[in-house]
Amino acid sequence: MNFELTEDQKMIRDMVRDFARKHVAPGVLERDQNGTFPRDLINQLGELGLMGMVYPEEYGGSAADTVSYALAIEELARYDASLAITVASHTSLGTGHLAMYGSDELKKKYLPDMVSGKRLAGWGLTETGSGSDASGMKTTAILDGDHWVINGSKIFITQGTEGEVFVILANTDKAKGAKGVSAFLLEKGMPGFSHGPKMHKLGLRSSDTAELVFENVRVPKSHLIGHKDLGFIQSMKVLEGGRIGIGALAVGIARGSLEDSVQYVQQRSQFGGPIANQQALRFMLADMWVQLEASRDLVLRAAVLKDAGKPYNKEAAMAKLYSSEAAMKICHQGIQLHGGYGYMEEYHVERYYRDVKLCEIGEGTSEIQRMVIARELLKA
Amino acid sequence: MKIYVCCKQVPDVAMTIQIKDGKFISEGMNYVLNAYDASCVEEALVLKEKYGAEVTLVLIGDEAGKEALRKGLAMGADNAFHISDPALNNLGSQAAAKVLQAFFKGRDFDFILTGKQAQDSDMGLAGGILSGLLNLPYVTNAVGLDVQDKMIVVKRQGDEGVEVLHMPMPSLITCSNDMNDPRIPSLKGIMASKKKPMEQVSLTDLGLSADEVLKESQKSSLKSFGLPPARKAGAKIEGDAQTLVATLMEKLTKEAKVL
Ligand SMILES: Cc1cc2nc3c(=O)[nH]c(=O)nc-3n(C[C@H](O)[C@H](O)[C@H](O)COP(=O)(O)OP(=O)(O)OC[C@H]3O[C@@H](n4cnc5c(N)ncnc54)[C@H](O)[C@@H]3O)c2cc1C
Repeated sequence: MNFELTEDQKMIRDMVRDFARKHVAPGVLERDQNGTFPRDLINQLGELGLMGMVYPEEYGGSAADTVSYALAIEELARYDASLAITVASHTSLGTGHLAMYGSDELKKKYLPDMVSGKRLAGWGLTETGSGSDASGMKTTAILDGDHWVINGSKIFITQGTEGEVFVILANTDKAKGAKGVSAFLLEKGMPGFSHGPKMHKLGLRSSDTAELVFENVRVPKSHLIGHKDLGFIQSMKVLEGGRIGIGALAVGIARGSLEDSVQYVQQRSQFGGPIANQQALRFMLADMWVQLEASRDLVLRAAVLKDAGKPYNKEAAMAKLYSSEAAMKICHQGIQLHGGYGYMEEYHVERYYRDVKLCEIGEGTSEIQRMVIARELLKA
Repeated sequence: MKIYVCCKQVPDVAMTIQIKDGKFISEGMNYVLNAYDASCVEEALVLKEKYGAEVTLVLIGDEAGKEALRKGLAMGADNAFHISDPALNNLGSQAAAKVLQAFFKGRDFDFILTGKQAQDSDMGLAGGILSGLLNLPYVTNAVGLDVQDKMIVVKRQGDEGVEVLHMPMPSLITCSNDMNDPRIPSLKGIMASKKKPMEQVSLTDLGLSADEVLKESQKSSLKSFGLPPARKAGAKIEGDAQTLVATLMEKLTKEAKVL
């Protein structure tokens, strides 16, 4: 058993940390307040090779391992969770689905620009009527000559307005339910493909979430990703990897709350001395730290398994479930430790609290993670 | 063009420095590339991109030094030499310069860059001593570099302003971290740095003995470390405007005696 990061992993973590401190941290409050999408930061991340780091060199990636990827997401989320979710969803959902199941032709055409961050990717599974039970989707794709004709809509799609390449799931054989779903690659600008306005959210405000609408969108036959009717199974695999990213996101946000709190309690003085002297608060901080470390270990364990090519489904679910719930508590305590100041926007901890909630919802709610975990536990 | 950058690994100044009984506690410290040296690497890389050059890093140090070298390679330097030997731990400036002199003997280069000082000891001696030992023209505190007509154009920060000097090749230049903002290595740079040559050099390779180094080291060595005294708490004056002004005047004239 070895808990040491490799030299590469440390270098990548330090590099992202350096970038995040220098370029991401300044301006995060304004971006959150105004909901400004940080296209310039994404370009910089692209130049550093962080918009598709895990993908092969032939597509412009660096074939970095999942551990490095999780560390990178944590470092970004430490300062700006909106940016981190943008990178994570772009990398592991849209780009990931294409990289894992797309034909060579599609990958050659689209992946390089996605991996470089030039074109952002979105991924559409959720619909207004089908969230946790994604198999109940209504969007349809019907073959008409050389094209698939897509009709329907998707909701809460990250990169919905800024994205240029989308992987969307649609029914190709309604009678077969989840076994009749297929994945398609769509490009912004295809006739009939539109999006709603940016949605207003509790947190992650400078990330981009919107509805996608498909009205007789004609998609070339070659844009079917992988085999027909296997889209749902593909999606479950895509989400499995994505959960490591959401776990890392929760760890990063929680670390922000803890680090800020540690600093604050030493500066803030009440009853004749720093509030850090109060045992009640010291115990709170100790609990926060333990939960943070346990979360990170779970996330990295799932990443190590994935890198080793071993099954990691339950580990990823556990990592996502535990770290997002722990992060909720940590961010909640972070505000408590800051008192009234923590309730104000300038102190960041209220932003962490708003941002972190998504971790319990996106890419499978906590309840869904528990279902996955219990299913593994109870299987014959 | 062939540019050498002499670098050092230093404790990460973002971490809390601990000192016990006059000794620096290195356990648990992260070691990073000296910020002044990082500026040298950056400047060398800018010149490489402009005119073409080979950028070589040289570092005296233990295993932690390798990470600093890899950082420089990840930024874009071409190759590195890691001079390492148990006798080279806690080296004084004089001894470091002596070791580097031996390293540079018989080597061809256009100029040597080195940080104007190291962030850990802030001595700022090694560069100057090395230029003396190598008998090289020497300029300190560079804030800008360029090459024109086979001369190195150095902007240096002087006391009164920026001076521009034209130096012949080869020369030795020590650099300020005000010169540039060192690039953050890209992921590709990090991955590529593994494959770049990093040559191990021992004292024997340099024709030096541990005794010789020790003798040199004693010419200038660090005896002990201490933390700066804690700042005393300031005095807080309270009351209405009249009292505030009166007390302040009293303190400024009688206690501080500045009025
Ligand atoms: C900011 C943001 C970004 C998103 N980005 C994307 C994206 O890029 N692409 C995409 O496809 N989707 C995206 N989503 C959608 C997200 O994945 C869904 O919101 C999520 O899966 C939950 O679905 P739902 O909202 O329909 O909730 P529902 O499924 O309606 O759930 C409501 C509640 O019921 C619970 N519940 C449901 N079924 C069960 C059950 N069987 N047992 C116990 N409890 C149950 C849920 O856990 C939850 O508490 C995003 C959502 C948000 C908020």
